[in-house]
Amino acid sequence: MQPFVGLPRFDTGKPVVGLWKPVTGMLGAAALALAGGLAVTAPAQAANTITLGAAVQLTGSLANTGRYYRDAYNLAIDQINAKGGVTVAGTKYQLALKILDSQSDVNLGVRQYVQLLTQDKVNFLLGPFSSNDAMDDSSVAEKYQVPMIQGGGASGQIYARGYKYIFGTLPAAGDYFASTIKMMMTLKPAPKTVALIAANDSFDVSVAKGTRELLKKAGLKIVVDEQYPESSSDFSSLLSLTKSKHPDVILWSGHETEALNFIRQAKSLNVNPHLLYSFTVGVPTADFRKALGADANYAFGMTPWLPSPGLKDAWFGDAAQFATLYQTKFGYAPDYHAASAVADVEAFVRAIEAAGSVNPQKVRDAIAKVNFDSLYGHIKFGANGQIVMPQTVIQVQNGELVKVYGTKFYAKPAYPLPPWSKR
Amino acid sequence: MELFSQIIVNGILLGGLYGLMALGMGLVWGVLNIVNLAHGALIMFGAYALYYLFSGLGLDPFVGLPLAMLILFCFGYLLQRGLLNLIVRSALLNTLLITFGLDAVFAHVAQLAFSADFRTINPTYAGNNFQFFGLTIPLARLAAFGVALLLAVLLWLFLGHTRTGRAIRATAQNLTAARLYGVNPRAMYALTFGIGAALAGAAGGLYGIVSQFTPYIGASLTAKSFVIAILGGLDKPLGVIGGGLVLGVAEALTALYLGPTYTDVISFGLLVLILVSRPASVFERA
Repeated sequence: MQPFVGLPRFDTGKPVVGLWKPVTGMLGAAALALAGGLAVTAPAQAANTITLGAAVQLTGSLANTGRYYRDAYNLAIDQINAKGGVTVAGTKYQLALKILDSQSDVNLGVRQYVQLLTQDKVNFLLGPFSSNDAMDDSSVAEKYQVPMIQGGGASGQIYARGYKYIFGTLPAAGDYFASTIKMMMTLKPAPKTVALIAANDSFDVSVAKGTRELLKKAGLKIVVDEQYPESSSDFSSLLSLTKSKHPDVILWSGHETEALNFIRQAKSLNVNPHLLYSFTVGVPTADFRKALGADANYAFGMTPWLPSPGLKDAWFGDAAQFATLYQTKFGYAPDYHAASAVADVEAFVRAIEAAGSVNPQKVRDAIAKVNFDSLYGHIKFGANGQIVMPQTVIQVQNGELVKVYGTKFYAKPAYPLPPWSKR
Repeated sequence: MELFSQIIVNGILLGGLYGLMALGMGLVWGVLNIVNLAHGALIMFGAYALYYLFSGLGLDPFVGLPLAMLILFCFGYLLQRGLLNLIVRSALLNTLLITFGLDAVFAHVAQLAFSADFRTINPTYAGNNFQFFGLTIPLARLAAFGVALLLAVLLWLFLGHTRTGRAIRATAQNLTAARLYGVNPRAMYALTFGIGAALAGAAGGLYGIVSQFTPYIGASLTAKSFVIAILGGLDKPLGVIGGGLVLGVAEALTALYLGPTYTDVISFGLLVLILVSRPASVFERA
C-alpha cells in the first residue's frame, strides 16, 4: 500500500495549493472549506507533517524546464513517504509539498517565497529553476534564516555572498566547460582558437567568466567573445561574425530554446567551427534531439548526471530505476535537473534525521554536514554551500546520447565535426 | 566587407519577417483604433496552426501557410464580432486592457492545449542555403521574406484598388460618411480584424520555420510589431514592410558593432526617437 503515490497530480498552469498531507479525517474538513469557497492550504504545523515549499516556473517561458522540478519534488516526496517518511527523534513524520507557480517571473517568485514562509509557514525551502531565480529567492531564505536547498541554479554568484542558508546541488557554472576543455586538449588535431558565446543572465555570465580563465590556462586563443541577450531568437549577426573569424571551437552557453535556434541558424548560414562545438544546455534532453533531428548530431554538451545503475539510492534503488519510474509516471525522461531536484529533497531528509529536529538553524547545520550517496551522486556541500561535482562530456552521435569523457574516454568522440555540406 | 554585406543581407531577410509581423497590427490599429496587445499571441497561434498542419497532416509548410491564415482569419473574425466589437473606437485604455487580458489568456490556453514544450516547423530544406556572390543566403529565410513582401503588396492592392478595401479605408477615415455611403462598419471591422489575424498567422507560420516557438513568444513579438508599425506608418502596408527592414538592418548592425545585447536598446531607442520627433504619426490616430 502506497497511500501517496496515487494522489492526483498538479496540472501545469493551475494555481496550486498544498494538498500533500494525510487525507484520512480531512475529507470532511476539505469539503467544508471548499463549500465555503475557501482555498485549502496545508497547515504546516499539522501533526507529524514536514512541509517543503517552493515557487517553481510552472508556466511562462521557463515552464519547459520548471516541470522537472515540480515532477521530481512530487515523486521524491511520494517515494520517501511510501518508504516510511522521515524519523525525527523517534517520531515518524510525513513530508508534504507546497508548490507555487512563479510564472517565470523572478520578482513574483521572491514574493511567493516570502508568502511560503510568512503565511503558509512551510518548514523548509526547495529551490526554483535557473540561476537568476535562485539568486534572488535565496535572499528570502537568508533573511528568514530558513535553509533552502536548490538544484536549479549553478551560478557562482549565488554562493559568493557569504549566505549561510543556501545550499545547491548543481556544480559551479564556471566549471561547466572544464572537462570539455580538458578533453579537447587530448584530441588530434588539437584546437587553437575558440569562439565563446554566452547569454547575459546570471548562469551564463558565470559560465563565460569561468571558461575564459580555463581557456587562458589551456593556452587557447579566444577569437570571438560575445554576449547576447537572454531569450534572443535571432543569431544571424553573431553567426556571421563567428564565421568570419574561423574558430576551431565554439563554446556556447544559454538556454535550451536559444541553443536550438543557434544550431538551426548555424546550418542555414553554413557556419561551422573547424573541430567541435559544445553547448551548456540542451544536449542531455530528449526534446533537443527530437527538435533538431539529424542536425543534433556532433553537438557536445555536459551533464553532472546520467541515469546509471551504479548510482545507488536509499529510496529509489538506483538512478536507472528512478529514471524508469519517472518516465512511466510523467511520460518524459528525467535529465540532471530532475535528479538534482530529488537530491535536494533527500538532503533535507538526511539533515532533518541527523539533526533530530525541525528547527531551521539545527537543520541548517546538519545540511552543511550531510554526506551520502544518492541517485544523483555523492552529496556533500562545500564551505560556500555549493556541491562539487565533475561534468561528464556527452555528445549526440547518430541521434543517440553518448557518454564520451570524464576522467577518461568512455567512447570515441565524433571528431572533428564535418561541415554541414558533408553531413 | 564581405562580413558587412552578409550582415546587411541577414538584416534585410529578418526585416521582411518583422514587417509581416507588424502588418496586421498596423492595419487593425489604423482602422479599428485598437492597439492589439494580443497580436503576438495571434502570431503564436499561427505558428501552432502551421505546426499541426505540417506535423499532423504532413503538409509542406509553404502549402499549409494559406490554410493557417484561413484558420486565423476565422478566429480573428469571430473574436472581433463576439468580443472586440464592444470596445471598438472606445478609449485607448479600454482596448489596451482587454487585449492585454486576451494576451495572457491566449498564452495560458496555448500552454494547456499545446504544453510548454518548444516546437519547430522543420521541413528537410529548412537549413538549406546557397551562395550568391560570396554571401550565404538561407533558403527558408529568403522564402519567408518573399512571402512577406507578396502579402504586403496584396494588402496594398486590396486596400487601394478593391471596393471592400476602399470601404475599409473609408471606415477608418470618416465613419459617418462611410455609413452614409452604405458601408456597414461592423462587417468592415470584423473583416479587417480577420485580415489582421490572418497576416499574424502567416507571420507566425514563417516564424516557426526560421525559429522555434513556445506559448510565450507573444509578448516580445507584440513589442517588436508595435515599434515597426509606428516606424512604418499604420495603414501603409509597404511602409510597414519598410519599417521592418529598417529595424532588421539596425538590429543586425547593432549586433555586429555594439554587441547583441544592445539590439533592444536600439529598437526601442528608435521608438523613442520617433515618438519625440513625429508624435503625430502615433497619437493622431489614438
